[in-house]
Amino acid sequence: MKLVMEGVTKKFRDWTAVDSVSYSMENGIYGLLGVNGAGKTTLMRMITTLIKPTEGRIACDGRDIFQMGGEYRNIIGYLPQDFGYYPDFSVKDYLLYISSIKGIKPAAAKKRTEELIHKVGLDKSECRKMKKLSGGMKRRVGIAQAMLNDPKILILDEPTAGLDPNERIRFRNLISELSEDRLVLLSTHIVSDIEYIAGEILMMNEGRLAAAGTADKLVSEMEEKVWTVSCGRNEAEYYRQHYKVSNIRHLREGTVLRVLSDVPPTENAVQAEATLEDLFLYCFGERSGEEVD
Amino acid sequence: MKKLTKYEIKKVFSGRGGRTALIILAAAAAVICFFACSVSYVDEQGISQSGHSAVMKLREAQKEWTGILDEETLAAAVASIREVTDTPDYNSKDIEKANIAYSRLQGVDDIRELLNHSFAEDFRTYDYFRANSLQPEDAGRFYTNRVFLLKEWLNSEAETMYSDSEKAYLTSRYEELETPFLYDYTKGWDQIFEYSNTVIMIMMLVMGVFISGIFSNESALKADSVFFTSLKGRDRAVAAKLRSGIIIVTGVYFIVMSVFSAAVLGYLGADGMNCPVQIIQWKSMYNLKIWQEFLLVIAGGYLGCLFLSSLCMLVSAKTNSTVAGAVIPFVMIFLPSFLSNLDIPALNKILGLLPDQLLQINMVFRYFNLYEVGGRIFTSLVLLFALYPVLTCILIYITYNVYVKKEIC
Repeated sequence: MKLVMEGVTKKFRDWTAVDSVSYSMENGIYGLLGVNGAGKTTLMRMITTLIKPTEGRIACDGRDIFQMGGEYRNIIGYLPQDFGYYPDFSVKDYLLYISSIKGIKPAAAKKRTEELIHKVGLDKSECRKMKKLSGGMKRRVGIAQAMLNDPKILILDEPTAGLDPNERIRFRNLISELSEDRLVLLSTHIVSDIEYIAGEILMMNEGRLAAAGTADKLVSEMEEKVWTVSCGRNEAEYYRQHYKVSNIRHLREGTVLRVLSDVPPTENAVQAEATLEDLFLYCFGERSGEEVD
Repeated sequence: MKKLTKYEIKKVFSGRGGRTALIILAAAAAVICFFACSVSYVDEQGISQSGHSAVMKLREAQKEWTGILDEETLAAAVASIREVTDTPDYNSKDIEKANIAYSRLQGVDDIRELLNHSFAEDFRTYDYFRANSLQPEDAGRFYTNRVFLLKEWLNSEAETMYSDSEKAYLTSRYEELETPFLYDYTKGWDQIFEYSNTVIMIMMLVMGVFISGIFSNESALKADSVFFTSLKGRDRAVAAKLRSGIIIVTGVYFIVMSVFSAAVLGYLGADGMNCPVQIIQWKSMYNLKIWQEFLLVIAGGYLGCLFLSSLCMLVSAKTNSTVAGAVIPFVMIFLPSFLSNLDIPALNKILGLLPDQLLQINMVFRYFNLYEVGGRIFTSLVLLFALYPVLTCILIYITYNVYVKKEIC
């Protein structure tokens, strides 16, 4: 399974949400990383055929996905960012309904629904109404519905948004489990969501693909750009104003800063090992501030 | 496809909104049934009675006049009326005495009503006391008067309202009515026709609420992304939505109308179904039996509900708004009523073909809405039944195409 994007652009009147994105993906987990408004959701909506690109082409094994129609929709699973559901349906009814619109025959749908309910750990809640579920449980139903047709391409838009740390870890493991033999594209603005599970990471900024590659490759680009600076409290403010600071730690004897800079910010700066989070901050600057986990 | 349709119907009725709307509809239908079945009868002591015994007594009294309404019967009816109305008690200011006198008129009251129309001063006039001044020998003019008054009206007040061919058409329809016609007790049908408009309109207003949600709720609940990325999300699942809308309209409509009709006819009686509609609507140009009008009322109401529901679905599919869809029946029902008050002949022609007319076919029976197409005259009834099935199909087709191509931004 090969999904290729060639110059994919989406414009909404005079605003360009996605700008000339080209990339090729095969089986494995791909993390789409970017701050809110970077164009991740728009790109995913184009990949799921919900909206058509203004320019460019998306092809699955060489065929335009919009021309493939139902054939393409049959091999994708999608968990949208705002996962909507029918509040008065039970979990089981909801999954059976989605099975029916995915064209799964009733007997197979029943079996698959039971399997997935078990897999996402909702055995005890299968008869509960969707509106009675917690945020994490709803997300688990969301991933279950996306998996109903055993998709070859699984697209997850911010699947961990709003989840507590435990649920997020649980969810991350679940995605990892489900990623076998399929292409998984997972968007997030939370670095830790994809740092360890994504084979490749695509960083989007203002509609463009800012960087892409394996986590190691991307982090390697940050080598000699991450510094640890020990200073007094008053000096810390200076660094905050003049450099990108990914972490500030106040100690009794002073302040330790993690500074991102192409050159050493001070003579006593010590080079530190770069992380994906540093790259994220380096790419997105202040805009990434509160999104970084 | 059946499974998909079943789920779509479940979506509508699983929510509190859908169930509340159904309860409101059931309550409204029950109240209308109650009013439709409310008949009073004044007994020999001049006391007004109600309830089923009143119905039975009224029916018994009117049944005495069942049969062909020929000159002889009409003369007897006039004599019977005069026998009561000429008494001092009938004209007494003592209400009790007047009521006692009136109690003797109830059996012939429907025929008295027909006499009032037939012997009116002119086509548009109605005098409640006209029959009281007739003589038995006047009975011979009962049927000819109907045609005479029409012709007189067409050549005077309505001279510019109709073309010559329309006038000729109307006159021929009047002349073609088979006379003397059959008379029977028809209270049940009368009440059915009287209240069917209200039942159908309320039903349409309520149905508009849940029908509109079929499409727009996907967007409101943000469930549209999953829907449209599914295999059948851009074809069969959309068709299932339309099918569920049609099934809901069909199911709700026929259940409500069956219960309403069965309740009213069961309580008041279904006698008189073979009588001409003129028994109830003297001026009607439609030479049909009461049972035929009933079928047309039911079929027209259904067609109207189907059309308006299709329009609701189209608007809500296009706008993603349940409110915008649900407003459609209100506009389509109440706006024509408002516009009809303007009394502009050209506008009235258009109003006669609007879908609200289908919801009140018994009113269509009363009006002279004629249309000349290709040199032929058509009644609004014919055009409504010819036009709206086609328009409904077109709306359904458009709704399908609008929704399958929807983009989710």
